[in-house]
Amino acid sequence: MNTIRITRRHALQGITLGAGATLLGPILTQLAAHAAGAPSAVRQRFVFVVQSNGINPNHLLLPGMAPRRNNELPKNEVVEETRLAGQELAAPIAALAPFKDRLTIIQGLSGRSAEGGTGGHSTNHGALGCYPGSQGPMAQTIDCALGEASPGIIPNVGLGILSRLENTLNYQISASAPGKALPLQCSPEQAFKNLFASVTGGASRHDFDNRTNLLDFMADDVRRSRGALVGEERAKLDQYLAAFETLHARQGKIERIQPALSAAMPKLDAKFQKPTEVNRLEAQFETGTAALIAGLTNVLTIASGGGGQQYLSWPDLGIPIDGHENGHGKGVEGKTAEECFIIVRQYHCKLIAALATRLQSIREGGGTMLDNTLIVYLSDSGEGHHPRLREWPVILLGGLAGKLKPGGRYLQMPPYLAKKHRTLSNLYLTLLQAAGKARDKFGHPDLGLRDVDQSGIISELLA
Amino acid sequence: MKLVASIALALASLASAVTPGETAALQKFLGDFCTKCHGPDKQKGDIRLDGLTGDVEKEGERWGVVLDQIRDGEMPPKKEKQPDAAQRNAVVTWISMQMGGHAQRRPNQGNLVPHELLFGRPAGAVAPPAPRLWRLSPDAYLGFVSDVQKGRVPGVVQPFTANPERGIKDYAKLAVIDEPSVEVLARNAAAIVEAQCAHEIVDGKVRGKNDARREFVELMDPAATPTRAQLEKAVQLQFRVALARGAEADEVARLLAFYDKCAKAGGGPGAVKTMLSAVLLRADAMFRQELGDPARQQLTPRETAAAISLALGNNREQKISEAAEKGALTTREQVAGHVRRILDDPKFKKPRVLGFFREYFGYPNAPEVFKDKPKDLMHEPQQAVNDTERLILFILEKDRDVLRELLTTPLAFVNVTTKQNKQTRLDEVVRAITPNAQNNKGQSPLETLYGLEEWTAEQPVTLAKDTRLGILMQPSWLIAWSGNFDNDIVRRARFIRERLLGGTVPDLPIGVAAQVPDDRHRTLRDRMQLTRAEACWKCHQRMDDLGLPFENFDHYGRLRSAELVEDAGATAANVDKKGKPLGPVERPAKLDTTGLIAASGDARLDGPVRDPRELVL
Repeated sequence: MNTIRITRRHALQGITLGAGATLLGPILTQLAAHAAGAPSAVRQRFVFVVQSNGINPNHLLLPGMAPRRNNELPKNEVVEETRLAGQELAAPIAALAPFKDRLTIIQGLSGRSAEGGTGGHSTNHGALGCYPGSQGPMAQTIDCALGEASPGIIPNVGLGILSRLENTLNYQISASAPGKALPLQCSPEQAFKNLFASVTGGASRHDFDNRTNLLDFMADDVRRSRGALVGEERAKLDQYLAAFETLHARQGKIERIQPALSAAMPKLDAKFQKPTEVNRLEAQFETGTAALIAGLTNVLTIASGGGGQQYLSWPDLGIPIDGHENGHGKGVEGKTAEECFIIVRQYHCKLIAALATRLQSIREGGGTMLDNTLIVYLSDSGEGHHPRLREWPVILLGGLAGKLKPGGRYLQMPPYLAKKHRTLSNLYLTLLQAAGKARDKFGHPDLGLRDVDQSGIISELLA
Repeated sequence: MKLVASIALALASLASAVTPGETAALQKFLGDFCTKCHGPDKQKGDIRLDGLTGDVEKEGERWGVVLDQIRDGEMPPKKEKQPDAAQRNAVVTWISMQMGGHAQRRPNQGNLVPHELLFGRPAGAVAPPAPRLWRLSPDAYLGFVSDVQKGRVPGVVQPFTANPERGIKDYAKLAVIDEPSVEVLARNAAAIVEAQCAHEIVDGKVRGKNDARREFVELMDPAATPTRAQLEKAVQLQFRVALARGAEADEVARLLAFYDKCAKAGGGPGAVKTMLSAVLLRADAMFRQELGDPARQQLTPRETAAAISLALGNNREQKISEAAEKGALTTREQVAGHVRRILDDPKFKKPRVLGFFREYFGYPNAPEVFKDKPKDLMHEPQQAVNDTERLILFILEKDRDVLRELLTTPLAFVNVTTKQNKQTRLDEVVRAITPNAQNNKGQSPLETLYGLEEWTAEQPVTLAKDTRLGILMQPSWLIAWSGNFDNDIVRRARFIRERLLGGTVPDLPIGVAAQVPDDRHRTLRDRMQLTRAEACWKCHQRMDDLGLPFENFDHYGRLRSAELVEDAGATAANVDKKGKPLGPVERPAKLDTTGLIAASGDARLDGPVRDPRELVL
């Protein structure tokens, strides 16, 4: 039992850590530093692409590898590494082939500590938090932890899509702190406005200025209301005040990176208004990519469905049935359920490849933005629609300013219960270490893995 | 007794700084009872307690351990010298106080607060209650939005997260507003104002749309500059709808100056909207205040009106707010009159009346527990919840022995809803869910869950003897306190220990594998035997025996006389001609519904029980 005393000082300390507001200068300074090749100025970026409905391990197999049947696990006792060079990627992920040398396909991680999510489907916050999915946001998720480790003007940008258009926020994937779900913005138009209002001109620009004024006014307003209060009750208003102050300060920082924002801003075209899943997801990928390029954030989370039983249908891809039905073996329009799954996988890989292509086209330091950006692709329900979580396939694409070993590898971890088995927690610990914020443990341990070291990093990944 | 005296003194003065006297007294306590095993020579469990000064800010973790162990009587070990009750109580009280009443912050752990601290404040001059702020609950926020603007307000989303723990949700100490919430609040404020100002421009004239406020719409003409009088009128209106009061002169002046600043940057109507948003974000709009009237040691009329409104519903009750503004809410009689009127007013929705029971019993969680639909029964958890709520309201209406009735009534509402008869225009009790020949093939209808052959309009129904009594045997409660595949003996038991017996159970120690073996060949009771191991039983003895009687029901809430388990032999033999397994075969295993009430603190309650009915009677 720990004491929780919220004082203004603590609250502000928290904010400095959380928002990292003052740590980064304007993007132009940053770019100048990059041009000068100063390695310390290179930021690390992370993109989490979370797709609902599981990632079937068979979708990632290399040619000649025996497909999994009946939930059988491989029997290797040590990590088996296969080079991707000269190999063809499996059809579901073939769109990632141009980045074969930047890819690390990881099979055999488990994540059973996240069990107990919604109806045996999504593990909710458990996927990025490694804790029981049924308990709500029990602790910070990895994307938010990395947002602290590599803070941008906006520590975490979360975007997504849900099947129901009126559900504009997804609260079931990310968490900034215990009990504090971080919403993913699921309206592409709103996401665009939130991030780029300062440079859109016209009414949006006025909106941006009015918002700046409003935040400043509210900070002053709340400050005045505190007079009658002392102690904890005053601390509540202090926190309310600090929130306005932080958001106001953020407006100033956004103002200062306007040239970069203008340059990176996506075109607000028809897909931002169209309701189909394909349009919305593409719009969100474009907005997220632009936010990274403009320097608004270093950590982007994009969830395609996900959390609860929030599945999607993909009529534009010829799959007008809900992912849940698909997960229970239903096919449509002459396609089997598995063929539907593959089509949806291929589509997501195409979007990820487009994101990587864009980042690779931008010079940064001695290389490109992709050298300093790690895309982590996984599902919030492990390896299937009703996951067992003994396997949790993950694809890594990109780099972390040289902190990770180069890609081009397929890693088969020792299976669940094997002595050298590794979990999703180990992967996240590795990312934290690479980001300079090493921890001993992340999330809850899997209590069924008493003999496995769940506290360490995955040495096969770190450079 | 020096310790007790010293701590009593600290309590009396409600001081939080540690005095040298307290430090010395605590160190003596630790020296007498703790440091033999947790001191310089030995550090059992890696815990060392000598040298603690009482500064819980720095030493919080260790004091937390001391608090748990002393409070629960786990330490010192039985064979060692024990502190007396007064000493134990004094230390627990002192630590609780020093930890900033941390236990008090967690409403679901109210039992952890020593009775001394709750009820034993020294007599004498009563200090005025400290000012308090209640952030609006998630539901009350939506009520606020509907008070401010009628009809649907597109774009408004919930900014607040309810306490994710089961149990009490709306609790002042838990609720704060942080940065992500403000982000949403600001966006919501803009959306609300947008709806308040909804308009179109036809032939150069501004016309309001939907439920827009006329006073605001007239400020939306981009070609016209609003007059001071118009702006002031708009501010006053926004204060009234958002705060149920008029704006003071200085508040108007500040907002008008703010408008000028925004207008200077361009976009006249935008500046008006921003000014109106500012009222919706005010601290006194988002936090219900109980600053009190120091002269009278009670809430101000305005605060009283808000407190009563939000105690019963999610919206502000108009008439009581008006009474407060007119100075007609100052006496007990006036307040009582309004409360009675509101309780009798069917138009004012009062969801909070059920709120306590929802949070206390936890039955509304039933639909959240995902289960495979059984082949032979209609599983409709939401209807089970609706039926339970009807029963609770029925008992409340009678208002006699409410808690006893809730726990022991043989009555139940079964598959009921209310519908208006189109001819008579009167509300009638009707069957809520009727089986559908196609979807519910082979599934017995909902009423069979309660042992009824047929649905009846005579509700509530008196259930057959030896079946169900009270809320704890309602299907909704049984489902809410079950898992995906099984009953949840431990959490049901914990509910009874904590909520009904007022006892405590320590949290699960870190690193303990609290998993019931997933062996379908054995009954759940049998599988639970693993908690009888010495290390587990220390805590589980407070729980398991209280939950085991509910094995009388399966996890869908069906009464049963046997538990189905997998039959290994029959399953192995269940193969097709080619030897391919055809799936598990089940057999009924003998059902044991016995349990035990122990250490309840009341000898009349303690003792073995045959079944869940005997447990509650």
